[in-house]
Amino acid sequence: MDRVIILENVKKHFGNEEALKGMTVEIAKGEVFGLLGPSGSGKTTTIKILTGELGPSEGRVEVLGRSHESFNSTQYVKSLGILSDNSALYERLTVKDNLALFRKLYNTEQTKVDQVLKDVGLEKHIDKRVKDLSKGMKQRILLCKAVLHEPEVLFLDEPTSALDPGTTESIHAMLLKIKAQGTTIMLTTHNMDEATALCDTVAFLNNGTITDMGSSESLRQAYKTNEIHITYRNGTTRHIQRTIENRSQLEKALFDPEAVNIESDYPTLGEVFKKVTGKELV
Amino acid sequence: MNTGRIMAIFEKDLKEFTRNAMLFTTILLPIILAFMYSRMGGEALPAMLVYLIVGVAFSAILCSGIMTMMAEENEKNTLRGLMQSPASMLDILAGKSLVVVLMTAVSLIISFLIMDVAFEWSIASIGGLILLALFFLNVGIAVGLTVDSVATTSVYLLPIMFIFGFTPMIEMVVPDSDHFIRRLTDYLPLYQNISLHGEETTVPLLILLAWTLVSFLYVTWAFRKRMSDEVK
Ligand SMILES: Nc1ncnc2c1ncn2[C@@H]1O[C@H](COP(=O)(O)OP(=O)(O)OP(=O)(O)O)[C@@H](O)[C@H]1O
Ligand SMILES: [Mg+2]
Repeated sequence: MDRVIILENVKKHFGNEEALKGMTVEIAKGEVFGLLGPSGSGKTTTIKILTGELGPSEGRVEVLGRSHESFNSTQYVKSLGILSDNSALYERLTVKDNLALFRKLYNTEQTKVDQVLKDVGLEKHIDKRVKDLSKGMKQRILLCKAVLHEPEVLFLDEPTSALDPGTTESIHAMLLKIKAQGTTIMLTTHNMDEATALCDTVAFLNNGTITDMGSSESLRQAYKTNEIHITYRNGTTRHIQRTIENRSQLEKALFDPEAVNIESDYPTLGEVFKKVTGKELV
Repeated sequence: MNTGRIMAIFEKDLKEFTRNAMLFTTILLPIILAFMYSRMGGEALPAMLVYLIVGVAFSAILCSGIMTMMAEENEKNTLRGLMQSPASMLDILAGKSLVVVLMTAVSLIISFLIMDVAFEWSIASIGGLILLALFFLNVGIAVGLTVDSVATTSVYLLPIMFIFGFTPMIEMVVPDSDHFIRRLTDYLPLYQNISLHGEETTVPLLILLAWTLVSFLYVTWAFRKRMSDEVK
């Protein structure tokens, strides 16, 4: 396995507060890794450590074979794409001028800019000033800015939070395309649907600790119970364990015209999160 | 430092400067002053008035321009994006400095044309002008690296403009030339530039050089502080 990102027992203190309490994660090349956690759990802190904006207090941090001490090198910076939770554009300038700046700073081709703009469906808006764009448009331009130099690793801090479903969908489509090109992506989110749709691996972060990690499907399976929930026409519900002893009860329910809904307990990622951490995601 | 990246920042900031009404109108300040003075008297303008225009241009455009641009990058969170790109802080500062130097030069040239300045620029006085420009640029950069909002810049800008930019105005506030304030202000940089048009040039040049060096130390300090804050 070609590991692109390695965090080993990483801790981060802010004064007396311990924002990360020994985080260990390995991310393979081409993997989409999602950090899922409630507000204040340390998601942004983790991204900032990986992008070199913060130094770890303890532990080993390695990205693309490079240790965090040398994260400020130009070569490293060029291999990263970053969309932070507070990334911003130059409001007075047009979309074109904003992207031209970064195209020149990264020394990439204009054709690449045209292509990413087309990918997010904003090629018609290049002459608009950024201040005249909607929030969702700005976020898509920020994503363009983050990927126009074809980074090897992409860090996205809540790329779709507070965006409408249409914009979210277009961003997801773009990210899946980037993933298909072999880019390693690490994203943070509050949104379990986003994690399910995009991520190969999901890690639950709670109070600076990773409480569980795996594919979205494996996490759901790991936390499913053996219960069958039956809802009757009169509104009452019954929970029956799916065991051989309960076979006749279950069969009866299956053909009972009064039983309007029968379902197994297969939790959503959000429900799993709640089971693991005792917290709601949002 | 990298020329391509400095030029990219320069082009971006030139657009920002010209589209920012607050910054762009500063170019007009020396020109309006020059226009007013040219209307006032028929005979040749005294050096003091010429340097008042220079002081206004250097403090209101050169110094305040770069200070405001840095503060705005910080306030609007765009500086982060630049720092996360291959551009270094020195690339950023150089690109921005070029913009304000260009704008100041344009404004001063127009002002001088309007005033029809008739005195000869000796080598010493041109050297002095360059040192003065570096002084104001350094102060602007240093404060720009320190503050993190455009609103904060005015706290620094007003005293800087009054003391270093409008220096000859002090004579109106304190008319007695033997007053200790006047003796002290005789060492201010702008007065050295005026002296450079007299007989003695070595001492004023040395005093100016000292101001420039001190301002450079201020920049170095502000830069170090800023960069050590970058990775906490
Ligand atoms: N620069 C800082 N100084 C002091 N404390 C900080 C700093 N940055 C983060 N923290 C603290 O670290 C903890 C984790 O913050 P972080 O921003 O990583 O959370 P998050 O998971 O990104 O939350 P959100 O979903 O709200 O963005 C919080 O308790 C926060 O107060
Ligand atoms: Mg965050």
